[in-house]
Amino acid sequence: MDQEKLYALLAREMAGELTEKEAAALEQLLQQYPDASYIREVFAQNWAPAGKAYSPTQVEQLLEKHQQRMQNLPADTFYEEAPPKGRRWLLYSGIAAGFLLLFALGGYWRYTQRAKTTPVLSQLVTDKRMRSQVLLPDGTRVWLNAGSKLDYPQQFAAHQPREVTLEGEAFFVVTADAERPFRVHTKAFNVRVLGTSFNVRAYPQEDSAVASLVQGSVEVVLNDASSQVVSLKPNEKLTVPVHPQTAPTTENTAALTTPIIVYKTKLTTLRDSIIPETAWVQNKLAFKHLQLDKVVKMLEQWYGVEINFSDDRKKQLYFTGVFESESLEEVLNALETTLSFSWHKDAEGKIWIN
Amino acid sequence: MRENEQIKGLFERVCYDNSIQAYNELYIALCTRLIHFSASIVSSFHLAEEIVSDVFLSLWQKRNDLSHVQNPVVYLYVSTKNLSLNTLRQQKRHQHHSLDTLNTDMLAIAPDAENGMVSAEVSQKIERAIRSLPARCQLIFRLIKQDRLSYREVAELLNISTKTVDAQLTIAVKKISQAIRFDLSDETAQTYLRLDS
Repeated sequence: MDQEKLYALLAREMAGELTEKEAAALEQLLQQYPDASYIREVFAQNWAPAGKAYSPTQVEQLLEKHQQRMQNLPADTFYEEAPPKGRRWLLYSGIAAGFLLLFALGGYWRYTQRAKTTPVLSQLVTDKRMRSQVLLPDGTRVWLNAGSKLDYPQQFAAHQPREVTLEGEAFFVVTADAERPFRVHTKAFNVRVLGTSFNVRAYPQEDSAVASLVQGSVEVVLNDASSQVVSLKPNEKLTVPVHPQTAPTTENTAALTTPIIVYKTKLTTLRDSIIPETAWVQNKLAFKHLQLDKVVKMLEQWYGVEINFSDDRKKQLYFTGVFESESLEEVLNALETTLSFSWHKDAEGKIWIN
Repeated sequence: MRENEQIKGLFERVCYDNSIQAYNELYIALCTRLIHFSASIVSSFHLAEEIVSDVFLSLWQKRNDLSHVQNPVVYLYVSTKNLSLNTLRQQKRHQHHSLDTLNTDMLAIAPDAENGMVSAEVSQKIERAIRSLPARCQLIFRLIKQDRLSYREVAELLNISTKTVDAQLTIAVKKISQAIRFDLSDETAQTYLRLDS
């Protein structure tokens, strides 16, 4: 009889279901049946599958396979479409003891509402040739590329979206906080973030602005009359053409009312799985099948020089490359080996491509 | 249990923050257990891997509608069970689609002989003892010992009472204990017996 009781108590102990009273009873029984102490120990050990077992590497492979299957899902079933009007933000509030309440919050905070409580703003500015990194008060990390400007509050308000304004290029690794969604404002679009890492390139002098998503999910809201919302999946980028003459300050032009045509494309990798859009974060200069005039813009930012074309036809050449510690001369020489152009430096130090 | 709290935390981050990172961690934390469970139903690890992947795909798709889920672990096990049984039904290979025709090869566990607590021989004896149990009893033993589910969670998953879980687990522990006891070497037995006297 006692033996049966012993088995029951051993079973409950193993399952973590033993009450205090039962624990005392078990100790007593173990005095009676000392060999049971050994059995008890055996049950306390970690056991392993006797048949097939998955190693950590195999689990990694399973995850990779699974992620591939996720990518193959059609976009609209995979990421829910943004509702056309009145964005709903899911506000999560966890109350003690696991009682969860879910509120759908109708309407979203326009950043114009910020005016009510003007937070103290900080600004981070980088010159050409200079890249910088900043840790925002909420733990979000931002890498700022050359010739860029980031405005952010010294403290993010509670229960309100975290909002920053960017001119230029930055890479964000956003700390998840369901109560305070993260927003990046640029001239061309706003990015609404839900804890994720992504790159935004919005240099005022360039003819397009680009949002590239590495991980997580973001929504990009265009800053034109349409307020079009585009959801991005990991490894997708959105290119939004920017025309200086239709800058948002001029309201009544016809151009503003015609919807902007945007491009959604996949991020592709170069060798060593470098994504050109985010390579600069690792101090790498990378481009893939990029027109020479765009490459030159990157070089100008990167090395802080002026580069001109004496033959405009050369602007249409395409180049792919990754550079890390090379000097400007080494980069230009490497590109020159394709024999499609030549370069020289004039007396004032300006570089000419011909 | 701490691990359960962690899984709950990850699940919430998936549902409320749309966190891909939490989602991946959740997959890594649970996939092999769920695959073994599914494989015992569909009799194929290959198929089970796909089924569990499908379970997680649907978790992502439905992540914003899962606020009612009290216990993420049970939710994922139940989803895996249902999808596994459905898969069998579609294949029309089996007449009965219930948990009564489990392939227990996929469930077998034994103490790791490498940590020195038991010899390889005893480990094999234990494995044999487990295999001699009814299929459902083996499943319950595995879910509790290996997957660390609670009585309540197993009861919910298998639609039985916690009393039944307790009784079934006791049967398994008894059988295994007897296998170990018969094999206690004289020396080990003596060590414990001496404590007694």
